Amino acid sequence: MIALAYVVMMGLVALLSPAIAGTKPLVCSYQGKLYFPALGYFNRSWENAVFRKDRFRNVYPAKLREKDPASWAIWPLVYQDPYRRVRDGEWPDQPANPTRDEGRPNRFNLFGTNRAGVDVFAQMVHGARTALLVGFVSMGIATTIGVIVGATAGFFGGWIDTALSRLIEVVMCVPSLVLILALIAVLERPTIWHLMAVLGVTGWTGIARLTRAEFLRLKELDYVVAARAIGVGRTAIMFRHLMRNAMAPVLVPVTFGIASAILTESALSFLGFGAPPPNPSWGALLNDGRGNQQMWWLIVFPGVAIFLTVLAYNLIGEGLQESTDPRLAGAE
Amino acid sequence: MRFLRDAEQRPPRNSGWASRQIPRTGAEWLAVFVLMLSAFGCDGGPAVDEASASSEAAATTEGPTTKAEDGNEPSIETDADAPFVLGDLIKPFDPPPTLEALEASKTWVDSPVVDAMARLRKQKQSEPPLVSVEQALAMKNESEEANQKILSALSVLPSEEGGRVDYDATINRSFQQDLRSTNPVLVSSMSESEIASMIAFALFGFDWAMNPFASADSVVSWRTSEDRMVDLVVLRDDLTWSDGKPITARDVEFSYRLIMSSAVPVPAMRAGTSDLQLVKAYDDRTVAFFHKKSSAVNVWSLNFTIVPEHVYADSVAEDPTLRKSAHHIQQEKKPVVGGPYGLESHVRGQEVVLARRESFYKHNGKQVREIPYFKQIRYRILEDQNTSLLALKSGDLDETLLGPEQWTTQTSGDDFYRNNTKVRGEESTFFYVCWNLKSPFFDDLRVRRAMAHAMNYEEMLDDLCFGLFGRSTGIFDPQSWAYPKEPPQLLEYDLDRAEDLLDEAGWGDSDGDGIRDKEINGRVTPFEFSLIVSNKPDRIAICNLLRENLESIGVLCRIAPLEAAVLQERSFQRNFQAMMAGWGAGADPYISNNIYATPGERNYGSYSNAEVDRLFAEAEREFDREKRAEMYGRIHHLIYADQPYMFLYTRSSFYAFNKQLRGYRFSPRGAFSYSPGFGSIWRLLP
Repeated sequence: MIALAYVVMMGLVALLSPAIAGTKPLVCSYQGKLYFPALGYFNRSWENAVFRKDRFRNVYPAKLREKDPASWAIWPLVYQDPYRRVRDGEWPDQPANPTRDEGRPNRFNLFGTNRAGVDVFAQMVHGARTALLVGFVSMGIATTIGVIVGATAGFFGGWIDTALSRLIEVVMCVPSLVLILALIAVLERPTIWHLMAVLGVTGWTGIARLTRAEFLRLKELDYVVAARAIGVGRTAIMFRHLMRNAMAPVLVPVTFGIASAILTESALSFLGFGAPPPNPSWGALLNDGRGNQQMWWLIVFPGVAIFLTVLAYNLIGEGLQESTDPRLAGAE
Repeated sequence: MRFLRDAEQRPPRNSGWASRQIPRTGAEWLAVFVLMLSAFGCDGGPAVDEASASSEAAATTEGPTTKAEDGNEPSIETDADAPFVLGDLIKPFDPPPTLEALEASKTWVDSPVVDAMARLRKQKQSEPPLVSVEQALAMKNESEEANQKILSALSVLPSEEGGRVDYDATINRSFQQDLRSTNPVLVSSMSESEIASMIAFALFGFDWAMNPFASADSVVSWRTSEDRMVDLVVLRDDLTWSDGKPITARDVEFSYRLIMSSAVPVPAMRAGTSDLQLVKAYDDRTVAFFHKKSSAVNVWSLNFTIVPEHVYADSVAEDPTLRKSAHHIQQEKKPVVGGPYGLESHVRGQEVVLARRESFYKHNGKQVREIPYFKQIRYRILEDQNTSLLALKSGDLDETLLGPEQWTTQTSGDDFYRNNTKVRGEESTFFYVCWNLKSPFFDDLRVRRAMAHAMNYEEMLDDLCFGLFGRSTGIFDPQSWAYPKEPPQLLEYDLDRAEDLLDEAGWGDSDGDGIRDKEINGRVTPFEFSLIVSNKPDRIAICNLLRENLESIGVLCRIAPLEAAVLQERSFQRNFQAMMAGWGAGADPYISNNIYATPGERNYGSYSNAEVDRLFAEAEREFDREKRAEMYGRIHHLIYADQPYMFLYTRSSFYAFNKQLRGYRFSPRGAFSYSPGFGSIWRLLP
């Protein structure tokens, strides 16, 4: 339950990251119009061009006042940016972020800063978006492929089953980490989406096997036989009668898969093969901290975040397993 | 040469050379490409990269290339079925048939033959130590003054008889990349040239001020014809290969022919030798170098790797790669060498051990040269700079390179100073962002100047470089004689100016998406480019600062960190829009010719300025150093004004040494890669 609460909280943090830490106003009124510059954190083109044209240079508080004294704005909770260092005089009474190895946690930088003076807390908040995105998108792809392949194999049986089972075995042998490294070397401009695609395309085998097993079991049950006897079509049986019942156990490998995708992304970023800079990522922070152990805050905070998130997903997975696996239920 | 290891890629062409008293010359120092530079980068790059420095080196092909006027660019691709011809790239040339005829045909001027150690001893006498060794070892290197004191005391040399030198000592060193080959003629990376400098026989060298000379360890006399078309060198008669055979002038001629054979894969080495018309041995001890043109810089083509003729003469025809046949594999394990050290063992991925060669300093039982100070040199292969530092602190290494961050934060405590001390020296290596002038973004001077105005230099130097590096003011180093008397007016950080320049150049925001764009060939092109950089956190941090500034003025910069080898390949193919990297110092400014002139082989950004081309050509023909300096000064100004590069910072070298070591001194190429360089370092008797 705690795990679930934690996961939901992480989801909220990721979703609301620009409202928690950022240097762009959530809402502002400028020269009589309402703008939402913080959306620029999600997608650069959503940030209104008027601010660039008026030479704001990403420093909103002072420029808003200077260019339009009548303007007002609602600011994020913490005035810190995941992409750049906050400098002197941007925010009243807030000094420039310390650089080098002097950025230990303080009132303005809750989790400290890295060598370039970029706030660690802001990077972690925005990095949560990366972590969760990787987990959900890659497992989304994997689930789609896995369920379709598994369902087809289990439902039709025969040579289709044999062929798909062999395919599953082949894909299981593909080393996804190596594939990602190779892909990064080949691609002109690797992004985090490539990584998710590779994780998704190689990670569906466990899901497919479970779905297939469930289908093999379920299709022999009386209610399916009955449905077939009264002439229900194959598609209807597959999706209406079988799929729903087979889904519960499939959730288990999906949750574990999310945990492992988050770990993989962190590992790649740690090795320097993750999303290109300056995209914030927990693994990239760890990589930053590797060079100098005196900067413990670069290791402890992202390390704890990765640990807790993976733990939470694994606990949820285990809980699901317990509630869906009849053998475990009987044992109690 | 260690210093190279870090950073630069040096042209292998010269690679061989010497270490101890054997001088190394030339070309090697040519500009070194610091692509990857190591740790040092200002980027603070400590840790990780330091190590890599060597790897960076991979620059295999560096080397000055001459623009061969006759256009005989050697190519490695040859018909596999064609019979092997030794020296097939040498153009027909008729040298005087006998030595007497040659001597009679020219007027001769003596060129310097120098004992590098003797020269250094003399220099040391004029520089009394500022503090005693004990005081120096008790000091912490926390200021420039302390650094000077420590250096002056610890650069002490033993007397000629050896004094308190521990001749049985082993020195433990490290490099970051394993060797591909132990054959000095096949050098292609920093670690290989490091090893080559220890084991290869060399005729020439240069001192800490980059003055070239012939080494008294190998050469009796060196004369140059007055028209500078011929160099005549007489070798000593007490030189011996490690298998006991004498080293003769025939080996020099053979090595030249070997390098000038199209089937032998040494294109980098060939870049230097292709400046030569011919190398001819007139007898066992006399060898003449014929040049293609009369130039002030001919001396830099003289030093190529010399290998034994009796080992390779027959085997090269059957295996021109020098690596595949059984005989050559045997040579890889135990090469026949002529330098002060010989290869003892090489365990892949772990270590390389060199041992002092008795036949180097003894001839017929009599000592004829100074004994190299170490009995054994053990190199461990450590890819990570942090690992090297830990090994140093625990006493497993005797010296290592430090990154600026390690220098500032990890080497101030007692755990470091218990066994070690550290010193720094200026180094002529600068880092830059190279713009590809063929790309539609950077062909406009106004855009390049706008870029230069959009970099926060102060924050880069003070914060990202730990305040240890200076700002680069152009292609030559202020310490070099080629540097102009009046430095150029630097472009300062000024985002308003940058925006104005971009507006002027037509990069407005026509579609209102917040990103500047311009109509190019009828299509609206957003100003979005990728900046390639080697995958080192410190360097990425600097790129990131540039990216942040550019983004605030509506220019998108995508940083693409690449592996060293990939970065190098992309630069050779000119397949990039912008690249952050570094250049090391060349021995002589003429070597920059192939970086900035048209169509220079290493002119990766395709920069071209007719006036610069003309000045380079003219300066090469001019013999008066004052006048040459003036021309190079003009070039410096012209290039700064054209901004084909954004000049970032110049790097220093940082080294940590065990407290038992003495005798280190810095050149613009670091502590090791000159003569005597490593050869002057010794360990105190316990």
